[in-house]
Amino acid sequence: MPFRQIAAQLGELRITFDVDALLGAYPGKDGGITDSGELGAALREANTTAAAVASLRAALFDVHSGNDEVLATDFTPVGGLDLRDALGAERELDRLAELGVRAIRLFPDEQHAEPDFPAVRHLVRRATELGFVVLSGGDVRRFWKPYAGLGATVVFLDTHFYHLGDFLIAAREEMGFHTSTRLLNSPDAVETVASSVGVERMVYGSRTPYAESAVPRLRLARCGLSASDVALIAGTTARRLLGVDA
Amino acid sequence: MIIDVHGHWGPWFFTMEVGSVETNLAVMDRYGIDMAIVSATEAVCYDAPAGNRALADALPSSGRLYGYVTVNPRQLDAASRDLARYFGDGRFVGAKLHTDYTESPITSPQTQDALTMLAELDCPVLVHTWGRTVLDLAQSCVDRPRLRAIAGHMGADGYPYAIEAAQSCDRLYLEPSWSQAPAGRISSVLAAVDDRQLLFGTDSTLIDPASALGAVLGSGLFDTAGPVGSAGLTGPAGLTAERLAWRNAASLFDLPTS
Repeated sequence: MPFRQIAAQLGELRITFDVDALLGAYPGKDGGITDSGELGAALREANTTAAAVASLRAALFDVHSGNDEVLATDFTPVGGLDLRDALGAERELDRLAELGVRAIRLFPDEQHAEPDFPAVRHLVRRATELGFVVLSGGDVRRFWKPYAGLGATVVFLDTHFYHLGDFLIAAREEMGFHTSTRLLNSPDAVETVASSVGVERMVYGSRTPYAESAVPRLRLARCGLSASDVALIAGTTARRLLGVDA
Repeated sequence: MIIDVHGHWGPWFFTMEVGSVETNLAVMDRYGIDMAIVSATEAVCYDAPAGNRALADALPSSGRLYGYVTVNPRQLDAASRDLARYFGDGRFVGAKLHTDYTESPITSPQTQDALTMLAELDCPVLVHTWGRTVLDLAQSCVDRPRLRAIAGHMGADGYPYAIEAAQSCDRLYLEPSWSQAPAGRISSVLAAVDDRQLLFGTDSTLIDPASALGAVLGSGLFDTAGPVGSAGLTGPAGLTAERLAWRNAASLFDLPTS
């Protein structure tokens, strides 16, 4: 099977929903996309129908104007909070809830927040009470804890296969814990999640435009799961979690 | 054809079940990888002589899996014996040197001695590199005219240093394996490095080949448009793709490809 044939197979996998796309630009990284039309084109290039999009302006500079930026697009908007401003984040949560936003995203690495910071636990609790799905950055081995015992619905966006055992142990007790497949790229991680806690606990995430989406797409295209299970991961489960019509 | 120059055989300490030769072959088949050169995980992570011995016992004679003799720079006498015993026997075609597990940076005296020994044997060596350390490996090649070295992971997040390193010595090769795939990493290397220094590596069966393969595919090197040539690739980009995929590896390790 030459490379070219494998490349062609990528085109056969339709991603119906991507939970991990970013509008905006890190000042210290190349490749950011600040135009929603260009981001849409990048997603279409990756055979992706729809995506949950968060704003880097919200994550790095100003939550209000940044969130308004994604609210003005045709994407499924994801509200950003700033963990460095707990009171402002409380207000933004209420505003986002009133606007009908279904998901928020936490950027603990970018905002230098640790899982035991009071703001993290408080905002996670408040977001759960308001019915938000939380898309969570951070090391799952430590960031599982502020979500524990709340009945929270969480998608861990940075679960690395090195830390798969920790995710699985936590997910056994927390039925609302899900993981992105972006870094589940050992030979059997995707299959192990499916057999251990269920295929419905995985959702496709790419981190477009900052990561090569061909990696999680190829892993999914060549995994050992059935076509119906692949379809769940490729978007059906995420759409259900976020209340997005098929 | 695809040749993976960065493979492993044996179990890992993470949550995964990948210890058998059958798993190696199944993962290769998943992506159409024809050949892989593997080191024993036991040799890399714990006991080099014991791991090398286990790999020698486990390597099938199918012609799809070849071996690296793992060198612990802190045990050069044992490494010398293992190289004499295995290297060049038709199955072991190079050496593997991991700087982190052995706490032996490329600039350490023991790793420098190990590289001198491998250069004198004309033994290609795959060296773990991360960040700026790839520059140290390039300098080691410059200092040893017979040394041919592969920068494992091509410095990972230090790929801009890998470009600089490869440009400083044509006996330094780059392979892309990494569990992360930041956009633009491979295309940056393709644009700046002589394609005769590019190899394909996956770090399988630690990392699924989708990671390296997807990153390479994402670079656009393997455009699906246009007519299909004899190897499924066309034009100058096709030659680059073939060099990366297998031609350079076949030449470096003298592997049969007919």
